[in-house]
Amino acid sequence: MVEVKYFGAVAEKTKCEFEKLSFSEELSLQKLLNDLNEKYEFDSLTFSVAVNQKIVSKASDYTLKTSDVVALLPPFAGG
Amino acid sequence: MKESTRYNRQIILPEIGKEGQYKLSKSKVLVIGAGGLGASILPYLAAAGVGEIGIVDDDTIEISNLHRQVIYKTSIVGKSKAEEAKYIVLELNPEIKVEAFAVKLSGENAISLFENYDIIVDATDNISIKYLINDACLVTHKPMVYGSIFRFQGQVSVFNYQNGPTYRCLYPDEKSNALNCEDAGVIGITVGIIGMLQANEVIKIILGIGTVLSGKILVYNILNNEQQKYDFEKSSDFVITKEDFDSKYNSFENQVEEINFEILLNEIANDEVLFLDVRNEDELPKIEFKNSIQIPLLNLEKEIEKLGKNQIIYVFCQSGIRSKIAVELFNKNQFSKVKSITGGALAMKQLLKEEKI
Repeated sequence: MVEVKYFGAVAEKTKCEFEKLSFSEELSLQKLLNDLNEKYEFDSLTFSVAVNQKIVSKASDYTLKTSDVVALLPPFAGG
Repeated sequence: MKESTRYNRQIILPEIGKEGQYKLSKSKVLVIGAGGLGASILPYLAAAGVGEIGIVDDDTIEISNLHRQVIYKTSIVGKSKAEEAKYIVLELNPEIKVEAFAVKLSGENAISLFENYDIIVDATDNISIKYLINDACLVTHKPMVYGSIFRFQGQVSVFNYQNGPTYRCLYPDEKSNALNCEDAGVIGITVGIIGMLQANEVIKIILGIGTVLSGKILVYNILNNEQQKYDFEKSSDFVITKEDFDSKYNSFENQVEEINFEILLNEIANDEVLFLDVRNEDELPKIEFKNSIQIPLLNLEKEIEKLGKNQIIYVFCQSGIRSKIAVELFNKNQFSKVKSITGGALAMKQLLKEEKI
């Protein structure tokens, strides 16, 4: 299981602020992001990705571990 | 020197003392934006005795601002935000110096403005201005105290602090502009809290106390009171020189020309011009003419070659922000007759209604 947190406009798309996703085989961060993109159609949204409170490159080949927490952080613009 | 008791309660804090108060009185802070965030930041900086404050905002106060820009009174609707904010904070603390700049921050004025201050506070509501502030802070070596909100959530960070990570390290993709044309809605408390956190970072930087939010972004959700900090690193060695800055913001081809729709009413159905809607297909109100087409901004780069470089094109989006980005893209591709319609579809619809077209 990994936990994914959503913020701002991304959470508007997912209609939830977090969810727990189970995976059986090895799951890379890239694959997770692709799956989420397919599910929620983020395509027009920009966001940074954090794993365990640290912003990482979306292209990283990091393999997710059980209990990892991923967060999708779009920029905010209001003020 | 006259001894005022004004700052007594903060001077007795061991972290501040007379020395800290002296540092505050010698500091110069430029606040860009006197809207929701600015209305929260400015009174606290002024009250604490920040010696010099600059306020940049070219807007005037509207009645729909007052629910969140709580320093302004109903009686001053229509007046300049920068000027009124100056008057308000000087009344709060006449011992400081305040300067109002009722201008729009641009590539032309940013560097010379920033050079006169120690800390730059981003209290704007527009992503492309945030990149401009970031880049001008890099050129002038100033820290940028960033704050921004989306509905009930806010972000705070300090960029370029002692050569630390910048806004571009967190958000390298400048096209994120595309999302911010329409207003998402906001309650005053959100900007109040986030603005106050920004003011807190400013005071910490000046006094050299606590841990500055450098290389970290704080995300605050006021609905569940959760706050999270995320670490981010400086991406390679990101340097912007004055030359890079000028070629990005001040070169001729990057001058985006804007035009009012009012002047274009006669061009509707004129075969020689093209109206281009860069919104996504599901955005309302629909605006369609015989000579209009729709290419969402995200697809524009791919489809730009379908258009002629000498074609007269008037670009619009929902409120006039994405269309400016589109014009920049056209300019980069050597189009010479492309302009952005001020105020976008919302302004156009209004005028079409008034003119009964």
